[in-house]
Amino acid sequence: MHELSIATEVLEAVRREAAKRPGARVQKVGLRVGELSGVSEDSLRFSFEVLVQGTDLDPLALEIERSTGDELDVAWLEVEDA
Amino acid sequence: MSRVSVEQKVLSENDRIAAELRESFQRHGVLAVNLISSPGSGKTTLLEKTLAGAPASRRMAVLTGDIQTDNDAQRLARFGFPVRQITTGGACHLDARMVQKALDGWDLDALDLLFVENVGNLVCPASYDLGEAAKIVLLSVAEGDEKPLKYPATFFKARLLVLTKTDLLPHVPFDMARAKENARAVHPEIEILEVSCTTGAGMEQWSRWIELNTAS
Repeated sequence: MHELSIATEVLEAVRREAAKRPGARVQKVGLRVGELSGVSEDSLRFSFEVLVQGTDLDPLALEIERSTGDELDVAWLEVEDA
Repeated sequence: MSRVSVEQKVLSENDRIAAELRESFQRHGVLAVNLISSPGSGKTTLLEKTLAGAPASRRMAVLTGDIQTDNDAQRLARFGFPVRQITTGGACHLDARMVQKALDGWDLDALDLLFVENVGNLVCPASYDLGEAAKIVLLSVAEGDEKPLKYPATFFKARLLVLTKTDLLPHVPFDMARAKENARAVHPEIEILEVSCTTGAGMEQWSRWIELNTAS
């Protein structure tokens, strides 16, 4: 259930990074989500889609890399430079 | 198209506030513990028994989280210790900002021990550091001994597992040895206590655990 808050934080991180690159367009965000993070991948994907839809970030793709610990990180962005 | 490394925690803002809280608890000599469990495992009852059995001179307080009501705060306020309610208004967990806000104006120098009772939920609270010294997970014997394997994040992050409602053991198919085995499979160093708030069995060990950790 807290995946909506998690997705909100992810998008804020994306916006912060995007602000450092005026004119550039973020195409994809890569997350690292550990088995012990307590985060459900399906709920996170769903929340992410709902939050992105119809915003300036749309279409923003999400790639989730699973790991074994309690990681919950924004690992990278794919950016189309201006 | 270029790939840019970001490498930051998703909950970095929560973690930043939690680090401030942790520093503040340490500076004021307060042991803060974060109680996590499913709804109905007995967090509030364990706290009631703990407060009821404590001398009035005990410098402790409770922050209790609830989605909607202040029932728990009312139950806990009867014992004369400071209690504050955090109503999350729908959120399924407490986060560090809520705790920081709830502590506003509280004199931490007057406290040695702070219980933070999280929202009843065995999943989401595990993701949010509240600046506590230890997470404590409660699991009642009515819930089933496989729970540590189904909800590993909480058991992995908890320092202590309190198995509650042990007076119900004769009536439920709960295998105590298997429950402990499952908890240790997820978290080999987890400490484990067995408690019944109804009979009082194990309450002494629980109090001793708290005393020991408050003193350290």
